[in-house]
Amino acid sequence: MTKKSFKKIVQEGIRFISQFFPQSRYLYFPLLSAALVWAIERSEEWQEEILSWEVWLDPGFVQVKSDEFVLRFFSGHPDLSEVFAGEIRNKDIPVLRKFFHSLYPIVGLEDPFLSGLFRQELLSKDYRGIVRQYEKKVAQAISDIESVDDRGRFLEGLEAIAREMASFGADTITQASVQKALADIIKKELGKNGN
Amino acid sequence: MRKSIVFCVLLPLTCISLSCTSYLREAKFYYVQAQEFSRSYKTETAIGSYKKSLEEAEKEVAKRPSSQAFMLKGLSELHLNLWEDAEQSFLAAFSFGFDKGQEWAEWVSLFGLASAMQEMGLARAAFQIYSYLVDKSRLRPVTIFAAQKYADMALQSALYEEGKQRERLLSGLLKEIEKLTNRDLSCGFHHYLQAQVLSHMGDYRRCFEECVMARELGLPTQEIFRDNDLQIVFCYQRLEEELPPEDWEEFRTLCLKWVKRWNWPDPETPDWKKR
Repeated sequence: MTKKSFKKIVQEGIRFISQFFPQSRYLYFPLLSAALVWAIERSEEWQEEILSWEVWLDPGFVQVKSDEFVLRFFSGHPDLSEVFAGEIRNKDIPVLRKFFHSLYPIVGLEDPFLSGLFRQELLSKDYRGIVRQYEKKVAQAISDIESVDDRGRFLEGLEAIAREMASFGADTITQASVQKALADIIKKELGKNGN
Repeated sequence: MRKSIVFCVLLPLTCISLSCTSYLREAKFYYVQAQEFSRSYKTETAIGSYKKSLEEAEKEVAKRPSSQAFMLKGLSELHLNLWEDAEQSFLAAFSFGFDKGQEWAEWVSLFGLASAMQEMGLARAAFQIYSYLVDKSRLRPVTIFAAQKYADMALQSALYEEGKQRERLLSGLLKEIEKLTNRDLSCGFHHYLQAQVLSHMGDYRRCFEECVMARELGLPTQEIFRDNDLQIVFCYQRLEEELPPEDWEEFRTLCLKWVKRWNWPDPETPDWKKR
């Protein structure tokens, strides 16, 4: 992977997304990052499975975990154990359970979209900030994505970015290394545009 | 002559019929697309597709209201966290009634309604519906969705209790889930649910086995798959603390075989975590 080629794709991605979200710059990273994750994971072609006409609701994961599971989630993570040392020491399960609701999908399950959305907080280890802003920020992101007028073109465009990134080859790109490069390029691009 | 009259009458009717069903078809298309995105963690595109599905369902409702049109509208609204709108849509779906052969749509609308009610704070009523669906439904997608909601709410109730009362509630729940597993042994999700209850009961050895079964048989979404993996890691860590040395060695040997099969770097790091 040459840095120039990767940079070009990301720049094109930013230009593309900015047509849809001119005011929501904070979405650049999660959207491009998600496209990148699809590329890395080389998800199976979803189109083949689409034409099934009986529709259902998918189940979610079981959210009510045992006290031991919740406690270990916090105490077993190097950063969380430091930030929430007081609650862990006091075994304040009701409070930890409340924090678990927003932190487990991001830190435990590594949801790509949520991880992108809270990237700044994750980098600065502001886990209490994530807990505080979780509902509001997620609702805002959902609302902003809803405002896209031309969804067909948007989805196709995002898929195209993913495909271009996939062309680099899974062996040469890893999520951690490329996400950093991605963040740097986005930051520079935004700076260039006076943001 | 007679044929051409029939043709002249039937053709416009067919055209009208096709144009009426196209919004519904589009709504289903985008809904299924959204689910596919959602299952593999493509959240933002999933939301875009749910929104599109909602738009198409709204057009269908305006042009030709029907139980399925309202059902689709309600389903999309659920995914967009529009709980009150969803509740109204599902109630409207029931007011139209479901034709023969549309039982699946009736079940879907019923648990859609229960979900909306739960989000709006009517937990007890929702729990009754989930319980009914777990018991009565013979459709796998309905059963697994209702079972997850039922298990989550039952576990929440158990957490409010202590000692023997908690044990009694958890044992009762486990029996319910085991019934589902026995009815449909090849469903990985039922094994996943069993594992979740066993984890609450502190039976980590059986919990581990059910997690492995769930993983091998398959799980409906990437999110559940990862949650199941983290449960495996948790069981491994707890058993390391609890088992006597010989039993631990025996378990560890078994566990390492699975870990190798799944290409995990070690028993405490699932493959998707290594990046």
